[in-house]
Amino acid sequence: MKKIICFVLISMLAVSCKDDDTIETTSIEISFANKINSQNIELNTGVYQTTLGESYSINELKYIISNISFIKDNGEIFTYPVEDSYFLVDEEVPSSKIISLENIPVVNYKKIKFGIGVDQSNYPLNDVDNFVPTAEESLMHWSWSAGYIFFKIEGEYSSTGDQPDENFLFHIVSHGTNLDNYKTVELSSNFGFDLTENKLISIEADLSKLFNAVYDIRIEDKPDIQVDPVNAPKIAENVSQLFSSVPFSSTE
Amino acid sequence: MNKVFLILVLIVCFACSGEENTYVEISENKKLDFPQPDFFPQPVYNLEENPPTEKGFELGKKLFYDGRLSSTGVISCGFCHVQEFSFTHHTHEVSHGVDGALGTRNAQPLMNLAYFEEFSWDGAAQHLDSFSIIPITTDTEMNETVSNVINKLKSDQVYSELFAEAFNNGEVNTQNMFRALSQFMVMMVSADTKYDKVLEGNSVFSEEESAGQSLFEAKCASCHKGILFTDQSYRNNGLSIDPRYNDIGRERVTGLEEDKYKFKVPTLRNIAVSLPYMHDGRFQSLKEVLDHYDSGVEPTQNLDPSLQQENNLGISLTETEKNQLISFLNTLTDDNFLLDRRFSEF
Repeated sequence: MKKIICFVLISMLAVSCKDDDTIETTSIEISFANKINSQNIELNTGVYQTTLGESYSINELKYIISNISFIKDNGEIFTYPVEDSYFLVDEEVPSSKIISLENIPVVNYKKIKFGIGVDQSNYPLNDVDNFVPTAEESLMHWSWSAGYIFFKIEGEYSSTGDQPDENFLFHIVSHGTNLDNYKTVELSSNFGFDLTENKLISIEADLSKLFNAVYDIRIEDKPDIQVDPVNAPKIAENVSQLFSSVPFSSTE
Repeated sequence: MNKVFLILVLIVCFACSGEENTYVEISENKKLDFPQPDFFPQPVYNLEENPPTEKGFELGKKLFYDGRLSSTGVISCGFCHVQEFSFTHHTHEVSHGVDGALGTRNAQPLMNLAYFEEFSWDGAAQHLDSFSIIPITTDTEMNETVSNVINKLKSDQVYSELFAEAFNNGEVNTQNMFRALSQFMVMMVSADTKYDKVLEGNSVFSEEESAGQSLFEAKCASCHKGILFTDQSYRNNGLSIDPRYNDIGRERVTGLEEDKYKFKVPTLRNIAVSLPYMHDGRFQSLKEVLDHYDSGVEPTQNLDPSLQQENNLGISLTETEKNQLISFLNTLTDDNFLLDRRFSEF
C-alpha cells in the first residue's frame, strides 16, 4: 500500500511543478506609419489638401500610444503591463515609430486595442509617472498643468489652398477632470494578428482623416486648438479614427 | 521507509510554494500612522497605494528642502513654502523663483493635503503626486526638468540609498520621487487649533470669538465650508482684474468662459499666518480681506452669486463685526503644527 502511495506521491512531485499551461511568449514589434494618400508624410516639404479646400504642411507630429492590449477570438484579453505600455511616436524620429513589446503570448489575436494619450485613472499612478521624462524631453508634457499632451500637430496652412503660410497647431490634452480627451482605438483585420506566423504588426495612421473623419475641420476657423472644450474633443475624435492595420511591409 | 514516505509528503507539500513569501517587509522602514483627526472626513489621497513610511517621509523631506530640484541649485520647495507661515511665502505677493524671477500667483499653504481633490489655485493638478511637476518645471519657479532632477538624484549616493530603503523596487525614478514628496506632504495634518479644542469640548471661545463664529457661519461658511473651511469649489470673489497678470483663473484649465476669473476657495486653517491673501497676494492683512468683501467687490464676469444679492455687491460688515470675525479666524491657528519639528528644515 505504502509503495502505491509512494508511487503516486512521486508522480505528483514529478508533475506538480510543471506549469501545465505554459504558453509560449514572444517579442513583437508594432510599427506606426503616418501617411497621407498612402504615402509617408513629408515633414515641412509636403503640401496636402483637406476636403474643405484648404492646404497644409506638417512641421511636427507626435502622439502618445498607451495601454496596449490584445483580444482573442473568444474575447479574452491580454493586457500588456500598464507601466511598460506608454510610448511616444514622433514622426521625426524613425525609431520611435517602431514599438517593441516583450512576453506576448503567441496566439492568433483577433484585435489589438490601444489608447491615444494617458487615461486619467492611470495618471499619475501605476508607474505612469515614469513616462514623464520621455514626454517632457519631447515637449509632450505641459508644465503648468502637470499633464501630458496626447496628440500634437503643428504646421502651416492656407485657407485658399495655396502655398501654406499661416501657422496652425493642435495640442490635444484632457481639461482637468471636466473633459477627458483620452481615446481608445480597437483594430481588427481580416488577416488577424497571428503571432504564430508573424511577430510584426503594422499600423497606419491616415492623417488626412484628421480633418474629416467624424468632424469636418476648417483650419482657418480655429488654427490654434489647445484647451478648447468645443474643438479639442472634435480633433480627439478624428484622431481616434486615423488608424488601421495593414499587412506588414517594411515601409520605412 | 516511513521516513522516506514522510519526506516525500513534505516535499510535495512545499514543492510549489516557491512563489509565496516573496514580499519581505524591510524591517527598518516602519509604516507611519496617518494622524486622522476625529472630525475630519476620510482622506481623498489613497494611503494604501502610497503608505507613508519612515524612510519615504525622510526622503520626501530631504527632497522638499533640496535646492537641487531647481535649475540654479538653490530654490527648494521649502523656499516658497515656509513652515512657520503655514508653508507659504511670507510677505511675498507672488512666488519668487530662480534668479529672482517672479511668478503670477501666491504660494498656497501646505497642510491637510490628503483631503484635497485638486491642487493649485485653478485646480490644474488632479493628484498630489503630479502637482510638484508644476513648481519644478515652471520657468519662474524652479525652472528645471523632471529628467534633470532624476539624473541629479541618481548620481547622488545618499539619495540612491534613501530610495533603496524607502521603496520596494528601490529605484530612483519619477514615481518614487513624487511618492516620497507626497508621503512627506500628506503627513502635514493640521487640526490642533483652539477651534478644534472647542469642538472637542476642551476649550471655550471668548465672547468676541463666539460672536465671530456666528457671523462666520452666517456670512462666510457657504463657501468656506466644513471642517476644512473650503468647499473646494472655484469661484470669482469679485477682485478687480490686475492688468499685470490678467489671470483668467480656472478657465485656463477647462477652457470654459464660465470659469473665467474663478479660483479655488482656499482653506482658512492657519489663515492668520499665511498672509498675504488672495491668488495674487494683493491683501496684506485679514482686515484688508474683510474690507474687500464689505466694500471692494467688483461685478466682474462670473462674479459668484453669493456676492451679489438684491443688487448689493459683497457682504456688508460693520467694523465691530470685522474685528469679531478676525478674532474667530485667529482661533484657526495651529501653533503645534507650525512648529512641528518633523516638518522643519533644520
